[in-house]
Amino acid sequence: MSTAAKTVTAPGTDQITSFTFGELLSSRTVIGQTLKELGETHDNLWVLTPDIGATLVEFRDTYPDRFVDVGLSEQACVGIAAGLANEGNIPVVSGMLPFLSMRALEQVRSDICYPNLPVKIVGTHGGLVGNGGSTHYAVEDLGLMTSLVNMTVTSIGDPLMVGEVLRQSMAMTGPLYIRLAVGKKDKVVYEPGSVQIEIGKGITAREGTDLTLFAHGETVSQALDAAGILAREHGINARVVDMFTLKPIDEDLILRCAEETGRFVVVEDHLTYGGLASQIADVIADRGIRLDGFRRLGIPQVFAGFGEDTELRDKHGYGLQATVDAALAVTA
Amino acid sequence: MFQYGMHVDPQDLRNPERDRFVLSKGHAAVCMYITMAIRGFFDYREIVDTYGQLGSAYGMHPCKVQLPGVEVSTGSLGHGLPLATGMALHGKRSGMDHRVFTLMGDGETGEGSVWEAALAAHSNNLGNLVAFIDRNRQLMTSFSEERVKLEPYPDKWRAFGWNVIEVDGHDMAALVQAFDSLPAPDSDVPTVVICDTVKGKGVDFMERNLAWHAGSLNDTDLARALASLAHGRKAA
Repeated sequence: MSTAAKTVTAPGTDQITSFTFGELLSSRTVIGQTLKELGETHDNLWVLTPDIGATLVEFRDTYPDRFVDVGLSEQACVGIAAGLANEGNIPVVSGMLPFLSMRALEQVRSDICYPNLPVKIVGTHGGLVGNGGSTHYAVEDLGLMTSLVNMTVTSIGDPLMVGEVLRQSMAMTGPLYIRLAVGKKDKVVYEPGSVQIEIGKGITAREGTDLTLFAHGETVSQALDAAGILAREHGINARVVDMFTLKPIDEDLILRCAEETGRFVVVEDHLTYGGLASQIADVIADRGIRLDGFRRLGIPQVFAGFGEDTELRDKHGYGLQATVDAALAVTA
Repeated sequence: MFQYGMHVDPQDLRNPERDRFVLSKGHAAVCMYITMAIRGFFDYREIVDTYGQLGSAYGMHPCKVQLPGVEVSTGSLGHGLPLATGMALHGKRSGMDHRVFTLMGDGETGEGSVWEAALAAHSNNLGNLVAFIDRNRQLMTSFSEERVKLEPYPDKWRAFGWNVIEVDGHDMAALVQAFDSLPAPDSDVPTVVICDTVKGKGVDFMERNLAWHAGSLNDTDLARALASLAHGRKAA
């Protein structure tokens, strides 16, 4: 779906006039523009950040009374957001996920999830991205966040989806976690309007019958590329599911994919345990499903080292070739 | 605070003009329940009859979901000041003139999040934020100045840009005066009221005794404690 190059206009944004379909766009820019747009329709929308606000400038300048940069204090940032939500506001905390998901974890859990407040946490550096080393990779975050009662957990690759999820989230009464990769250059996966985006529902990004490749975030486009190779070079028809909501997981879609394709490969930029593979494995076990093949690709139990994201994925066994190989293995 | 300092109405829990109270030292919830019951928020008998039992709204640490009369759920130390800061930020930016109060123990100000919020409150000019600190100088297993040196404690708060009031926490007249001398809510400097207190005050065998940080009273202890309190009152 992502290969045709054409120019289209993104819905709901007037600043982004066009982009080349299948190419790169900044999720951070989309977030900044979407928040500015939502700030107008929601006068109780606040944006908070611990010193990661470069793309929030438009919101800050338009609604200075609803913008807070607390500096380097993630715990206070999340606690303050909870205090604002307690007063009937919709706070969005924007920052880097390694720190929001770990340093401020207890504030997320006890200040936001316990009273079930509508605080959104949106951030970058999910997975082995940015070349910052293991202090700056969020690789446990989905395990941590999916463990939290009341928390809805998403991981998004397509930059335009981020805007749509933010828009939908305005109606949510509880907390939401939005995970992005670097957020500077993200591949536009879906032609606007071509897929229905609904929090809690997976997206079938490519139809197929021989196996299902499950992915989220940046690995969706990798899975699509793998599916293309499998079709062209091996005659294998892989379905690709973008399971961008990890919690609540779309059980119906998992059951349908099990019935219709029988084999699963899960590829994610996260530790192999605690992320999407674990969520899917739970559904399989709980529902007593017998699959003909199951593989989980992701980060093994290592601190991953430095390198570009594609290099690190190859090194740790969840890059494009590894995805193709895993698909061949489960369909052999 | 519920009896004098705060403008609250037990019949109108969600009045936007009400003063807010955040019990940061959530383990003191039972004291808050009782003082709120005296003020008319809760039924005293219900607290006494159900405290900590299955299905009760009155637990060891307060939960706003189970007990809507309390403003926020607390318990883990160091969370109250950030929460109160967010609530005060809302009031300040909305141009409202209520105050947000929080009560911390001095021990919990060892948590870094307290000082993060202290910075944020100062940086955002939250004159409507008032933190009371129970400066009892005891942690669970040690005395604060022995193992954790908090002094010069008032200076630390001044250095963080806060207005500091120091009172004898057992002197009701001094506490009333502290409330009366709070800066206007639309002023720009947050206030901390450091209350010098003695843990176990008035019960001779408990005063400054680490063993009674989390002790349980049996019938004999209770009788001794009540006698000690009565004796103290008579002497006064």
